[in-house]
Amino acid sequence: MALDITKDQGKEVFLKLCKDADILLESFAPGYLDSLGLSYNRLSAVNPKLVQTAITPFGQFGPYAQYPGCDLTCSALGGFLFLAGVDNEKPVRACDNQAYRMAEAYAAVGSSIALLFAKRTGVGQFVDVSCMESTGMALENAAQYWDLEGANRRGRGNEAGSATVHPCKDGYIAIVAIMGKNKPMFDSFIKWMKDENVEEWEAFQDPRWIEPNFRRSAEGNAIFARVFERFAMQHSKLSLYEKGQAQRVAISPVSNGKDLLENPQLKHREFWKTLRHSNLGGDVTYPGAPYEFGELEWRLGNPAPTLGQHSSEILSSLGYSQKEIDLLAKEGIVYVA
Amino acid sequence: MSPNFKKALEGIVVCDFSWVGAGPITTNVLGQCGAEIIKIESMTRPDILRKGGPFKDGNSEGLERSGYFANRNPNKKCISLNMSHPKAREVAVRLIKKSDIIINNFRVGQMEKWRLGWEDIKEMNPGIIYVTMSLQGESGPHKSYMGFGVNLNALCGLTDQAAFPGQPPFGTGTNYTDHVMVPSHTLFGIMAALIKREKTGKGQTVAVSQLESAISMKPTDAMAYACNNETLPPLGYGDPNAAPHGVYTTLGYRKWIAIAVFSEEEWLMFKKVMGYPAWAEDEKFSTLAKRKANEESLNANIEAWTKDKYADQLMKELLRHDVKAATVNDARAAVDDDQMRERGFWAYLNHPVVGSTLYNRAPIVFSKTPIEMKTAAPLLGEHTKEVLSGMLGYSESEIEALAKEDVLT
Repeated sequence: MALDITKDQGKEVFLKLCKDADILLESFAPGYLDSLGLSYNRLSAVNPKLVQTAITPFGQFGPYAQYPGCDLTCSALGGFLFLAGVDNEKPVRACDNQAYRMAEAYAAVGSSIALLFAKRTGVGQFVDVSCMESTGMALENAAQYWDLEGANRRGRGNEAGSATVHPCKDGYIAIVAIMGKNKPMFDSFIKWMKDENVEEWEAFQDPRWIEPNFRRSAEGNAIFARVFERFAMQHSKLSLYEKGQAQRVAISPVSNGKDLLENPQLKHREFWKTLRHSNLGGDVTYPGAPYEFGELEWRLGNPAPTLGQHSSEILSSLGYSQKEIDLLAKEGIVYVA
Repeated sequence: MSPNFKKALEGIVVCDFSWVGAGPITTNVLGQCGAEIIKIESMTRPDILRKGGPFKDGNSEGLERSGYFANRNPNKKCISLNMSHPKAREVAVRLIKKSDIIINNFRVGQMEKWRLGWEDIKEMNPGIIYVTMSLQGESGPHKSYMGFGVNLNALCGLTDQAAFPGQPPFGTGTNYTDHVMVPSHTLFGIMAALIKREKTGKGQTVAVSQLESAISMKPTDAMAYACNNETLPPLGYGDPNAAPHGVYTTLGYRKWIAIAVFSEEEWLMFKKVMGYPAWAEDEKFSTLAKRKANEESLNANIEAWTKDKYADQLMKELLRHDVKAATVNDARAAVDDDQMRERGFWAYLNHPVVGSTLYNRAPIVFSKTPIEMKTAAPLLGEHTKEVLSGMLGYSESEIEALAKEDVLT
């Protein structure tokens, strides 16, 4: 539905839509709907059960509320970006605008919690989700490191064999061969290296490997890189993944898009779904369900609509006649595809 | 239903067998919204995060000083129940009968071993939501593979593009998947099942695959390859739709400013704040496409301008001109940040061992059923007696007998 809510007739249509809606999801600048006379109080008078969820860079209130923001700046202010680097290095960005994705995820959670409450009590409410604040969920233990130990931590990635990334024949792998001082865990790794007859595998028998400080040292990093990477460079990421896992070593490929589409587990589970998009003249591949329900049926649904594809259908369901719809379209209140 | 609910999920009881990361974060959000979370641990098998740093004053003695554990477990009650004892099951069963949700993130088969699998539990409580969180689903050739957050980050494709060109990928530097991707999908699944139950009165299983829920929050790489056989390049700190878009050195220890310019209007305003330097008028920076093509030289020029300035002052000046900018806050700066404080994102809660320490709430502000941060993370077994004698109806002497037999350790 393409609707001009700045015009009076558009507002009228919008209020009719809100009357029967469960959730209104919006990402206008804070105060914009109020300025049009469409505040939550106004909408709630039409539909007391309405849940209105707003996603904005900084939230509806607070000193930054009116500032412009984007994924990078929200990630930076929330403390999330700082973690994506070691020592004095500049931080690097994860893909797919994670500050936006986090806010969306928590908006879905907040909306569903408010929806259950509305179903039980008849009382809807306003749900305010900020992208900056959402990135605060991803600080792991960094805020507590500051609060309890007075330390500002950065990312993991410089402790050899404990959450490090290494090159292999066709890309990279990530490995957690040991955590803390967990010797049995490291023993599995040593056994794997021995079984593979890795050159210099005996180097890992040195008891110093159980000490995190040794693994962080230049010497520890150099030995791990020399011995493990020399081996890894002869094998593909998939082969290292399957061989290492068979030995109970927490190793995984650094997957790219192609790897994910060809991943044997995801293939087996028929995770990837395709939808025919006639307007694009082809199939689009989508991720499937992130969860399986016993009763509820998950569905991918239809392709994303074209602009105004359903304007006419929705208006007639609201009781507008074809003549009225044509008039609204002519006056530019709605766009009918 | 009572019209006097004060919190959104008041009256919901959660039997929480989950531990470490994604599970406790899920029940943390439910607890903040008013659900009663009963966390089950035991001295023989405590939540291993109790031994994860940081620790109050760096002292890792005992099981009650971890901030890593604490921030995932406020507002919860903890009972100590030694599940390896045959009499423990009966206590668990009484709790399960009172619960709306039961959640675990054990390996597949552990709950069944205790005869607490879905088939057993639906008989005793047909209205319960039964939540499992396996790493890669409960079927398939890799269903038993192991991994930590860092492994899952890499496997799901989050790490690959988080790299500077020509360097190995780095990722987020955290177990990101555990903190956001998995708990948020689990929460949404739980809420969908609870809403369904309003109509049917029936519970159901919610089986989360951590890998699949992670991929759902970063699908572009696979979608791009499926569409165009295109492998997406490393991002550095850039963005395909903006230039400049980067992190620039400023005065101070590990201090940077993030600046993002998407539109021509923003580029004009940015040049104005810089005082219209001659370099910025060069033809090679005149459009987004050209700035993108000459990004390295663009960034070098900007950094020459930022490096002798304070990031916070620069941020204010740029924002005043509608240019998106931000200090790259470390945890201390995020905790001290005015916006986070004014919105009540941080909370200090009192704990009998470590005193007043820092927590954060879920990033959701409800207008009528506010999130409440009430009690600090529980001591191991802090509420065993209270829960057994109150909610579960055990008498004083029954509790003593169970304690004597090591059921409650």
